[in-house]
Amino acid sequence: MTLEGPDDLSDRERAAVEAELRCLGDDEFVTAERYTEWQVRGPTLEADIAVANIAQDELGHARLWYDLLEAFGHDQVDLIWERDPADFRHATLAERPYETGDWADPVLRGYLYDTYERLRVEALSESAYAPIADRVEKVLGEEEYHREHAHNWLERLCEDADGRRRVQAALDRLFPHALTLFARTDREEAVVDTGVRPVPLSELRREWRNVVTPFLGSLGLEVPVADHEALLPAARGRDGDHTDAWESLYNEFTFTYEQLGRDSAPALMPEPGEADADV
Amino acid sequence: MDLDTVKERAGPREFGPADEMPREYREAATRMIQFHANSEIMGAYIERPFIRQAPSLDRKLAVSAQVQDEVGHGQLLYRAAEELGIKTREEMLDELASGEGKFLNCFHYPLDDWYELPMIMFFVDGAAMRRQATLKRTSWEPYAHAIDKICFEEGFHIKHGEDILRTIATGSRRDRQRLQEAFEKWWPRILQFFGPTDDDSTHGGFAMDVGLKTMSNDDLRNAFLNAYVPKAEKYGLELPEYPRVEYHEDDDYYEVYEEDLDWDEFFTVAKNEHPTGAGQIDKRRRTQAAVEWVRDAIESPDSTGISPAAADD
Repeated sequence: MTLEGPDDLSDRERAAVEAELRCLGDDEFVTAERYTEWQVRGPTLEADIAVANIAQDELGHARLWYDLLEAFGHDQVDLIWERDPADFRHATLAERPYETGDWADPVLRGYLYDTYERLRVEALSESAYAPIADRVEKVLGEEEYHREHAHNWLERLCEDADGRRRVQAALDRLFPHALTLFARTDREEAVVDTGVRPVPLSELRREWRNVVTPFLGSLGLEVPVADHEALLPAARGRDGDHTDAWESLYNEFTFTYEQLGRDSAPALMPEPGEADADV
Repeated sequence: MDLDTVKERAGPREFGPADEMPREYREAATRMIQFHANSEIMGAYIERPFIRQAPSLDRKLAVSAQVQDEVGHGQLLYRAAEELGIKTREEMLDELASGEGKFLNCFHYPLDDWYELPMIMFFVDGAAMRRQATLKRTSWEPYAHAIDKICFEEGFHIKHGEDILRTIATGSRRDRQRLQEAFEKWWPRILQFFGPTDDDSTHGGFAMDVGLKTMSNDDLRNAFLNAYVPKAEKYGLELPEYPRVEYHEDDDYYEVYEEDLDWDEFFTVAKNEHPTGAGQIDKRRRTQAAVEWVRDAIESPDSTGISPAAADD
């Protein structure tokens, strides 16, 4: 059974699609928001440029998932700019602040997140909701470069004793938050039943641990082995409960919108490439 | 090649790494390109908070891309400077972090809020574009080559900056008032962008003689004012009473009353001694020091021996 668009959905299906899209869009948006902190602060000019590329890809993906929510009558204003911060559904991994200079963090966070994203988005290629399935290919195409980037950096940092120590510290800190990527929303059952995402999160988590544990282990890192329930942090993100870092991040990125007293967030019409350089 | 031959042959894209250039030429070109590269980095540095503070997804993407482009320009320019064989990129970046490296006056002042952003993204970038366009004809070919790409991308930046300006200028009365305040604050700095009139800067004459520079600061300032005073007026901005700017219609020439501008501040800025600029340099130094361990890690003997520059190629 294929659901072609919003009009084909029952209330339960619609709630499932919305819940899935919010997780996808919010993860991408908040992850990108954090990545941009590394612009002009990376260890090399090349690293700066690469992290900016990745941030922009993720922002593009956020826009792509949010666009699908617009079919349900939402717009960017209520999806981002005027949304109650407690309504965001991203995993806590996305919002955690960076320590100044701790390049091991974005590299490891990127690896954990991109591996997760690949598995979740691959599962969505079989989505019963066609508009989601249609977008999978574009997202997966760009994610390959992100994982390659994270792999290369992790390998290089872990070849050095000090580098490995720092990656280990980041792993100890971030791993519990990464597990919130697989935390259930109250719609998880409907998401799986209706085929919006035919693979349950618990299975994605098992696959994810089967990928990240051996890879990180091969770099000489110690990966937590405990059951996810024992490792999960207090705030799960997916239920709207966030860590302290979220509120200040939210206040920062909505600052200008508030200051300008905006009530809309228009798309920019002229695409680069069409503009003529009249200067 | 001796200096007389250089002066005789000086012309657009005349010299490159294959030529044996005299030390005076290589030093002058390094000074000029390094200054330009530093300015790209420090310009990116003052714009970066507005990636976070952008009021829409599209703006956020555009500001992020713009900051990324500036860093890319820095990368290209340091490479063009390195080919002169005077300094390595690492040396130039170290000089920037230590406060030895010089950069454009306007990038010594952090931006307070979104209302000030078009002052950089439209007016200052517009002024920089004027200067850069003339450098397509500089005599050091690698520099001219970098400039081609920079001018191409900078054209989009200015369009985007103008779009931000237009949005604010067509907003509420309060928006227009805040914009005018931002303009009055930035306008004197923008006028100083091209240096003092009758520029007797120590390096200008030599740079013209050997074809590194192709247009004097005075002519550049005038071209900028011709183009941008009408643009400011178009967006409802009023030139403040001081500094006085007088238009001489007969000669199509703008005269800036130099005595109305704060040249003490300008020269303090130029020496990296103005407090806000020193603060920017200090922040840059601290963030660079915080990632020093990464450069050490990837250069350590037990590492693969891949150079840091190759990390993301």
